[in-house]
Amino acid sequence: MADTFTVHRAGLTAVQDLGRLGRSRYGLPVNGALDQYSARVANVLTGNDEGAPLLEITALDFACTPSTDVLVALTGAPADLTVGGIPRPRWEPVLVPAGETIRVTGIRLGVRAYLAVHGSVESPFLLGSCAPDTILGFGRSLRDGDELALRAQLPQIDHPVFGIPLFRLHAAVPRFAASWTVDVTDGPDLAEFGDSADRLLRSEFTVTPQSNHIGLRMRGGKPGDVPRRVATGEVLSRGVPVGAVEVPAGDELLVLHRGRGVTAGYPVLAVVTSTGLSALGQARPGQFVRFRRRTVAEAVAAYRLQRSGIDALRARVRTVFDALRIPDPALPLSSLPRPRK
Amino acid sequence: MDHGILIADCGDSAVVVRATAADADRAWQVVHALADAVEAARLDGVYGIVPAYDSLLVEFDCSDTDHDTVHRALRAAIERLDDGPAARPSPRRFTVPVVYGGEYGPDLPVVAEQLGLTEREVVELHTARDLTVRCLGAPAGAPMMDGPAFPRPVPRLASPRVSVPPGSVAVAGRQAVICPMRSPGGWPLLGRTPLRVLDLGPVRPILPGSATPGTAPRGVAGAPAGNHPADTPAPCDAPHQTPRPIRPRPAGQALDAEPLTAYRPGDTFRFVAIAPEQWDAYDGTMLAAGAAGAVAHG
Repeated sequence: MADTFTVHRAGLTAVQDLGRLGRSRYGLPVNGALDQYSARVANVLTGNDEGAPLLEITALDFACTPSTDVLVALTGAPADLTVGGIPRPRWEPVLVPAGETIRVTGIRLGVRAYLAVHGSVESPFLLGSCAPDTILGFGRSLRDGDELALRAQLPQIDHPVFGIPLFRLHAAVPRFAASWTVDVTDGPDLAEFGDSADRLLRSEFTVTPQSNHIGLRMRGGKPGDVPRRVATGEVLSRGVPVGAVEVPAGDELLVLHRGRGVTAGYPVLAVVTSTGLSALGQARPGQFVRFRRRTVAEAVAAYRLQRSGIDALRARVRTVFDALRIPDPALPLSSLPRPRK
Repeated sequence: MDHGILIADCGDSAVVVRATAADADRAWQVVHALADAVEAARLDGVYGIVPAYDSLLVEFDCSDTDHDTVHRALRAAIERLDDGPAARPSPRRFTVPVVYGGEYGPDLPVVAEQLGLTEREVVELHTARDLTVRCLGAPAGAPMMDGPAFPRPVPRLASPRVSVPPGSVAVAGRQAVICPMRSPGGWPLLGRTPLRVLDLGPVRPILPGSATPGTAPRGVAGAPAGNHPADTPAPCDAPHQTPRPIRPRPAGQALDAEPLTAYRPGDTFRFVAIAPEQWDAYDGTMLAAGAAGAVAHG
């Protein structure tokens, strides 16, 4: 009998990973965690591979109880994390004894929290990924009362001083506020918008409730806030990147996110940067978004800095976990160094 | 030789290639030959390509590679295009029964009006010739084709539908498509086919609470051999042993995957009008090359 999480309160929670790569040519979107940064960090903090399945908790409260001792980490939007009723830190590994209830409540400022567990969870896979694809009807959403199988066992953790380890691994925590500044680079069809393209950078936009993992719809504050395409003529469908900023109708922007169909027929005014996409994956309906122009080189540098921060965090985690003899979940337990007598 | 190709950055993690050849067929051949070359090159960090009608999008992780490397690989591939187009698999023909108009194709009247034709003339044009599949696109691997010989482009809907039924047959601009799965859509709907477009094999919607997908037979009797070679894994992997590492990834690994569709770019579709009472005879049958049961060409 595998160890499990018993789900008491599922809310809107799905088993998620970083996405389904290599399927664009066959018309399938990449999908995966909308806030890739938070998802990667949650996995790294629990010693997992960055692409391991984890829980994406959207907006609503979540509660579950492990049948065995587990090591978890909660990242993403600000929320209250308690274990057995005791507040515990987010953005750090947290040890949860068997039978103690993990609660994630009051998600605020952002919309998605990520809960990773050392060793990851079982999940159905499609084409190399467990990421839900709502168009194909694939994915695992949790329901109240579910038993979610865990994939690794945590050996007894001894801490030389405290008995129970407290971690200070200093993961970089993104800033969450009621409004967002999102970086974009020029899109390939910028010229089709003539002088109106600048409106994207001058105006403040409001995220509308018609926003989801496929794309975010945004409204300008007043008429004339939304750029206008001045070119006319037929646009043949073509591949559009995740992050494409399009202007489909007169008064709204559409910003494509990870669930976007791979082709579209709208001109691409701008493209949200890789770091900007993680931020945008947290934007709630009603929040304000301002766009900030960056060069491709600046955007690449920012993303590489973010990723090297994750790499450095992984190295710190490994050092600490080795000292505590917490195994790499990718390795079989039998390969662990034997505890010193 | 100048192939008439423009390469532009498309954000921090993609590059777009446009073929400017005046001949649409030539432009399409060029971008698909480039797509094959990029796939064969197995570039580090490249995780997706979207060849379409006259463009190719190359998606990559910009912490694993950079725009210059991708540009260079594309230019090298363009140089090699001079060796003649790569051999493409010979096209196959799919016959697709469609119930036109009414609840099946609610936009048929308005499209007819926009084109200055009768509904019957629209259907006649839509079924008059084989339409070439140019790419697999949105949603979910939809076969995106050249449009029928309408007198002018068909405008997209002013406000997209929230939900388009699976099998819907739609047109927009100079293009035609079948929507494989229920999804939002902004293209006018002329009709609907009872055939199943995507082969999800054992993949079924995962109901909350179930740990594994149900299984169903893959493929369909009479489907041509070779769509699903026995040596390729079924698209739904069993719960895996270890998560596949994202980094470092063997170069190009992610691009070797089997499609969920029986058709590929270059194949042709021929639409055939059927009466609503013939729907049940085809309902749920898998789309397969050559065979569409007893649909006779009118």
